Amino acid sequence: MKLLNLPAALLALLPLINPGIALPSNNYTEHLHLRPLPGGSLYAGFSFTSTTPLSSYVANNFRYFPRALAQILQYTHTAELHLRFALGRWDDESWGSRPRDGLREGGNGVELWAWLENGGDGAKVEGEEARAAEERWSDLVNSLSGLFCASLNFVDSGKTIQPVLSFSPEGTLEAGQQTRTNFTGEKQGEKQGELRLLHGMLPHEVVCTENLTPFLKLLPCKGKAGISSLLDGHKLFDANWQTMSVDVLPVCHDGECELEIQQTVDMVLDVERSMRPRESPIPRPLPMEDILCDEDKSYSGHDTCYPKHFDGEMEWSLERIFGRPIRGSCPLSTATSDDFDVTLEVPADRNIQVLAEAAVPQQSPANSLIRHYKLPEGKDFDLFLPQQPQNPSEPQQLPLEQPPLYVSRQMTGYGAERGGMHTLIRNPHPYSQRVVYLESLPWFLRPYMHTLKVSGNGRLKNMYYTPLIDRKRGTQLELLLEIPAESTVELTYDFEKAILRYTEYPPDANRGFDIPAAVVRVLPTQGEEGQGQYLRTTSLLLPLPTPDFSMPYNVIILTSTVIALGFGSVFNLLVRRFVLADEVPVSPLAGLVGRVKERIGELKAKLKGSAEVGEGVERKKAANGGPREAVGDGSVRKKK
Amino acid sequence: MSSWAEGQACKLDYPIYVRLFSDDDREQATKVAAEVQNLLRADNDLSLYNFYVTQDDSNATIAMDALHSVQHTSYETVEHREHHLTVSIKEDLNVKATEASLWSWVPLLEVRHSPGKSADPATLAPFISQEIRKIFREEQGTISSMVDETAFTTHRPAGQLSPEARATLDGKKTRAFKYASDYHLTFSMFTSSATPSSWDIEGALENTINPLIARFSSISKFTVDTQVQLYASFSPSIAGPLYDESTREWQLQRSDLSGFINAAEWPLSPGIGAGPTINFVLFVPSKDQSPLVIAETGGNSWLIPQWGGVQILNPSGKQPERLSASDLEPVMLTFADQLSSLLGLPSSPPSLALRISSLTRERATSIIISASSTLGALARLTLKLKSIAIPESVAKSVDQTIHHLDQACRGLQSGQYHEALENARTAEEEAEQAFFEPSMVGQVYFPDEHKVAVYVPLLGPMAVPLIMALAKELREFIKKLREKRSGKAKDE
Repeated sequence: MKLLNLPAALLALLPLINPGIALPSNNYTEHLHLRPLPGGSLYAGFSFTSTTPLSSYVANNFRYFPRALAQILQYTHTAELHLRFALGRWDDESWGSRPRDGLREGGNGVELWAWLENGGDGAKVEGEEARAAEERWSDLVNSLSGLFCASLNFVDSGKTIQPVLSFSPEGTLEAGQQTRTNFTGEKQGEKQGELRLLHGMLPHEVVCTENLTPFLKLLPCKGKAGISSLLDGHKLFDANWQTMSVDVLPVCHDGECELEIQQTVDMVLDVERSMRPRESPIPRPLPMEDILCDEDKSYSGHDTCYPKHFDGEMEWSLERIFGRPIRGSCPLSTATSDDFDVTLEVPADRNIQVLAEAAVPQQSPANSLIRHYKLPEGKDFDLFLPQQPQNPSEPQQLPLEQPPLYVSRQMTGYGAERGGMHTLIRNPHPYSQRVVYLESLPWFLRPYMHTLKVSGNGRLKNMYYTPLIDRKRGTQLELLLEIPAESTVELTYDFEKAILRYTEYPPDANRGFDIPAAVVRVLPTQGEEGQGQYLRTTSLLLPLPTPDFSMPYNVIILTSTVIALGFGSVFNLLVRRFVLADEVPVSPLAGLVGRVKERIGELKAKLKGSAEVGEGVERKKAANGGPREAVGDGSVRKKK
Repeated sequence: MSSWAEGQACKLDYPIYVRLFSDDDREQATKVAAEVQNLLRADNDLSLYNFYVTQDDSNATIAMDALHSVQHTSYETVEHREHHLTVSIKEDLNVKATEASLWSWVPLLEVRHSPGKSADPATLAPFISQEIRKIFREEQGTISSMVDETAFTTHRPAGQLSPEARATLDGKKTRAFKYASDYHLTFSMFTSSATPSSWDIEGALENTINPLIARFSSISKFTVDTQVQLYASFSPSIAGPLYDESTREWQLQRSDLSGFINAAEWPLSPGIGAGPTINFVLFVPSKDQSPLVIAETGGNSWLIPQWGGVQILNPSGKQPERLSASDLEPVMLTFADQLSSLLGLPSSPPSLALRISSLTRERATSIIISASSTLGALARLTLKLKSIAIPESVAKSVDQTIHHLDQACRGLQSGQYHEALENARTAEEEAEQAFFEPSMVGQVYFPDEHKVAVYVPLLGPMAVPLIMALAKELREFIKKLREKRSGKAKDE
């Protein structure tokens, strides 16, 4: 029934690991989940979890927990942190539901949310607490920006929101806070600063290798051993969809608290594209000998043919897809012998070859599509799945789990002044679902809330709305909706586009402005534990009226010219002397013109003189005209 | 402002109060005290200091017991007493020649002499003054070299520094961190392979580093964090260790030591809070590159100036999973040594208490000098760039700086060195804040060319009729002049 087993497997793992250990201690586990997806794609989900007892976190003794991150968290009084780097789009229609229930996924670009302590010590004045938290938030985004080489520092007050319904803490925050206070020996009994959730998104950020390198540095094995040795920027950022996450949360059991850091990398790779050799990444036609020809179709030339369409399973191996095999297990992993490092989900009849220099413990539960492998220590490990024709009698396919909802969002309208937002939420299931729809809009997109309409059978149960303040705060819109069974709900509103100041445009102003993804949280049904499921729409591009950026200079030139013209004429009027026409002295230019005309007249006369023999009548007329002209010319000059 | 920069506002003066206990009779002891004071004041080598030697009536044994008891309590309680040095004179039947010893944790000079003739002030006083001279000699050299290069120098006979002594002083100065009230210590273990992956750092710190930093707490506060990092690779900028067949060792070349820290990959980011971070790196090479030593010297630790210390640990035998506190003991002792030299602690006298109080004086002096020169630079800047707008906050900071400098100077002159240090540090912070005021820094770089670029399109076309008119007028004028001249010629 549980078809994409990863989220279920992971969620089942977490409670297993934690209560199993009596004393909080340093732990580290890692896991890789592989699953081919329809359309020649491969899903690879890496997860790394390390824990540290809260006591050594407070004492600043770090073993698996990264010191650089811990320092930031302590300095900014962050109780729980979630950071996401994402790229691409998860194709719900063909790939089914999202891995890990969408809990470890982020909107395109960078997304960050965290629970920060308010200024705990006696901030009595209303608003002061908020300011303290905002300062800490600003410290947090700035330090994380440095740590992860991302432009997180652009998450300012205009991009920060405080969602009410969309997120709930994953860790045991209050118990963790209490324990931490005990360790640090702060004044007991005094009221702790309350926790405040702040959320920011940067849809414009392009996630790339410079973000992966610091991410790997946080891992104890640093990408040198264990499954993290597969992570290579060239492959990861070539994926159709990828998301990296860092989550830090306190986990408490019976008064024993530990701080857990979960790092995940999820990606969907195009198998065929990933296997292209790095030396010639551009696809070229194969030589004739290597092409499997389809003899049924005739082709006129002899040097080529129709290739035979192969409808079986594609051949792939870890080394060919990721560029290298897994370099042995990470020896720090505290996983017991029952835990496996790699899980592969393929149809039962698929051939698999394990390439390793040492014996690999493996397990494949009966009647299951799952195979588990344990990595050998210090030896390379590779999985090779050969090409395999499909069994024609009973084609085995991995069943896909249907996502809880299908969500898509578009912009409507035309022109540079107004537009509209249009979101479609489709519930394919035979039961109704409650969802929280969160939008964080930048201030230059001004929604008209009176035009907000929920059509279809959807019911708007509750709404949290924070209006925007120009240049200071964006719109925060949180809707609690009920989506009836097997129906589509349409959510629309109109908006106005603001006109920015000249300096507020980015260098690539004509590209448009990124609007962050909308977050949809499918609330757990009654009696169900957990966070529910998350979906995110794609981010949108909003074209704003863009000025001509040479305009200021044009304006300067034009006004200057007009002023100069005015100045010139006024000046001339003031300084010019007015005289009678007779008194005007002959300008040297006029004399020159006169001389040229005279010369032309002489030339003409000469020409006429030479033509006299042939043309009697005309010559006479011309002869009469010539001298007259010359005389007239002379009279003009005399007048001057 | 400029009176500070020119060194006129404060005369650097270091009174040293010495207390004398003696088992001998009172009269004798008073004589010794007076004689020691005379000798010390006459000493040219200690011209910076003003010695005040007093005789204390209380019994030496009781007083020493009292001092002994403070050994185990906080250092500050001792330091805040009025006396910078205590000398106790004891009669001891077992000693032949007079001998002196310094206590490590308290500023106490214990002098033992045989009964009889050696108790005579005429022989005892020169001996004691000589011992005290030994204590203050290095400090005198450091401070006078510090002062000599600045406007604060007074024309005292300069402590004749040999080139070697100067070189050591310079070395010490470049090694040590700039003074801060907070330091952050980071102890990191970097392992080439996967083992050892943990260490008993808490226990190791408890034994060696913590007592040291507790002693320093009167000057600076320290925060400590530790980390373990595996799979640490060598920096690509160095050649890497070479195997030496003869000694069967892997050797790091001397030139590689400065580039040993792989800044790109090793997570040694400085701490976030206030104050600089001092890094201590313990490097454990992998099994196949062990033992790793430094070529030529065969040593295994070195110091990176103003950054921290590095030490290579070659585990004996098989690589352990976890390094115990006893494995770490020698490592931590080296780190403690490196820490004291990174903090600029003088190498003599042997007593830690005296070294720390000497460091206090050195630091206070150097900060007063640097704050004053920052003030001077700010004053020069404002005079040079007339167009710069000076915000209110800068004026305030300058006021604060001067106020705290005054306080610091008074502290120095009255022998309250901790107060002086505290005030000097505040003064320096304020001075730096004033100098690096962001709004002023921005204004320095506002170019006039921008204005020209905007005004040229306006002024250019406007200039054309002006120039034309001017040319015309000139022509008229010349013509008239000529006419006048020719008219004159005609008249004649």
